Amino acid sequence: MPPSAYLIVSAVLFTIGGVGVLIRRNPLVMFMAIELMLNAVNLSFMTFSRYLGSADGWVFVFLVLTVAAAEVVVGLAIIVSIFRTRHEVDVDELNSLQG
Amino acid sequence: MLLNLTPWILLFPFLGFLSIGLIGRALPKALITWIACGTVAISLLLAAADLWSMISVAPAQRLAVWYGWNWVTAGSFKVDFALINDPLTAIMLLVVTGVGFLIHVYSHGYMHDDPGFWRYFSYLNFFIFAMCLLVAADNYLFLLIGWAGVGLASYLLIGFWYTRPSAVAAARKAFVVNVIGDFGMMIAIFLLFEHFGTLAYGGILNRRIVTHTFAANSGVLIAITLLLFLAATAKSAQLPLHVWLPDAMEGPTPVSALIHAATMVTAGVYLVARSQVLYTQAPAALGVVAWIGGITAIFAASIGLVQNDIKRILAYSTISQLGYMFMAEGAYDYTAGMFHLMTHAFFKALLFLAAGSVIHAIGGEQDIRKMGGLWKKLPYTFWTFVVAGLAISAIFPFAGFFSKDEILTALLKAGLQYGTAYYALWAIGLITAGLTGFYIFRLIFVTFLGDYRGTAPGAAHIHDSSIHESPPVMIVPMLILAVLSIVGGWIFTPFSNLLAPQLAPAPVISLPPSLQGLSIGLSLLFAIGGIAVAWLMYGRQQWRAVVNRNPLYLLLFNKYYIDELYHTIIVQPVVKLGKAADTAIEGLTLDGGSRAIGWISARTSSTLRLLQTGYVRNYALAFLVGAVLVVLYYVARP
Repeated sequence: MPPSAYLIVSAVLFTIGGVGVLIRRNPLVMFMAIELMLNAVNLSFMTFSRYLGSADGWVFVFLVLTVAAAEVVVGLAIIVSIFRTRHEVDVDELNSLQG
Repeated sequence: MLLNLTPWILLFPFLGFLSIGLIGRALPKALITWIACGTVAISLLLAAADLWSMISVAPAQRLAVWYGWNWVTAGSFKVDFALINDPLTAIMLLVVTGVGFLIHVYSHGYMHDDPGFWRYFSYLNFFIFAMCLLVAADNYLFLLIGWAGVGLASYLLIGFWYTRPSAVAAARKAFVVNVIGDFGMMIAIFLLFEHFGTLAYGGILNRRIVTHTFAANSGVLIAITLLLFLAATAKSAQLPLHVWLPDAMEGPTPVSALIHAATMVTAGVYLVARSQVLYTQAPAALGVVAWIGGITAIFAASIGLVQNDIKRILAYSTISQLGYMFMAEGAYDYTAGMFHLMTHAFFKALLFLAAGSVIHAIGGEQDIRKMGGLWKKLPYTFWTFVVAGLAISAIFPFAGFFSKDEILTALLKAGLQYGTAYYALWAIGLITAGLTGFYIFRLIFVTFLGDYRGTAPGAAHIHDSSIHESPPVMIVPMLILAVLSIVGGWIFTPFSNLLAPQLAPAPVISLPPSLQGLSIGLSLLFAIGGIAVAWLMYGRQQWRAVVNRNPLYLLLFNKYYIDELYHTIIVQPVVKLGKAADTAIEGLTLDGGSRAIGWISARTSSTLRLLQTGYVRNYALAFLVGAVLVVLYYVARP
């Protein structure tokens, strides 16, 4: 299959993830969209790694996956603590840092 | 052996100024007086020793330079702190410390009840130090430093009673007018350095060097000499910068005696005498000196005829007599000018001290219309006043006779040698002598004779009032000055022998005895005539208040309206300019500018603040937009 197919899929996934981050108000769903964006990038890295025959691609994927996992942990911990104090799940309500 | 004790002469008054200035507030009055008078007394003895050591030395060798240290070196500009002892300096130092000492002693009595006693003596000692620095300096820079120092002392002492608005205004006026002169002197110093490469007297005031550097009456030399004369005009209160001296009478009377009669105002005369080599090479400038001196003399005397404040009459008298000194210097007879400086110091200081004695006795009144009949109550004051009056009127054998006649003779000699214009100045000198006799004896008769017209504490009738003679600490200096006013003129020959080799520029012709006799006779005639008219108008009869609407009288009484003229032409425009500048520059530019900067910061921040919505999704959008822009940049880059 031509690499462009994979790359188009990756781009579409990235766009869906990006739009999801901007539109959805539930923090958990925003996180899912962010994960979607990260994995779309992973896909394009793997594509290039396979089609250029280089190992750099999938090594980077490892790093991204690791970082994504750690980030989810921290992010969910923050969301849980926010939920415990405020009982809000709407990101738009968290605007007290307004200038 | 020629001594040079000038550094010590300067040191003691300086130490007196510092010690009294720093701790005088806590010291008892007697101790302050001992310190202040003591330092000046030491300086006086040292000055006398310097002068004495000079007499035994040959004229050509009468110059001793004390080299202190290098004051400033900037490239080729090198000035040392050095002091000289030569006949001119020695005589000036003796006059300054001598009269200064007598006035310090007198001040103890006059200022005794004043809360600012310590401040007064601190300033007075500082003045003596600055004046001695002025006359003993070895170069024009330290002359200028001393010049500025005496200007400062004058400001501090005129405004001594600083809670009085009139005193503060007078002090400010004196300082501002003097700064005009300082400006002139500074430009002159720049020019001197540019053309002579040094500021030391040794490198400038040498006949060979000056004639080598400048042609006679060369433009630059005339500029230098006239600028120096501008400084002298300001400091010695000549026309048109005389306006500060009558107002300076706001200060305590001993201050008027010391600074504005005997010493500071003579600094201008000293300056011209010191620079005589320059002036001799620029005869046009010397003509200006003589004419301004002459016009000032008669102008000030005319104003003094109709004034009613005892100190103002004496102030105008001082201006007039300084005019005489400049007339003499303008007639190439610097020795006569310096001689008159010395005798004038004696009798003018005495006049002021005696006037102070009167003011002190009647509780602060200075208007002669409110005096009268004081001669019995204040005998010492009265008779010393008369002695000084005779001296200033140039009556034989008092001191003023000899010095004023030397000046008139010099004017005649200059007329024979240098041009008939000097005869006109001689005539002015004669007329002014008559006016002098008149105004000073008008003052004496109105103040001391007749009935008492004042309201001094005590009683309505003067015999029962508490007016009494001043204490000995004030009387003794007056008596000493009275003796000097009598005998001071008899030493002209040794005086001239001492100074003339230094100051006489050219062989002086001698006047035919008939002309000299004519001059002496006429001057005595005019002087006695002036006194006689004063007697007829004021001595024989009681002073009566008369409303005088004569326009000439009003012109003289209002000092030719010069103060008003200056106010309209100079003061008001400057004040308006200052206010306009305050609005435009201070208000708009500086205030407005800094406020504008603040305003810009505030507006910028309030605009940028709109980005901080607090919404996470807005921030996410900002990330996205930014990321897209970066990618686009890298894609579009060639």
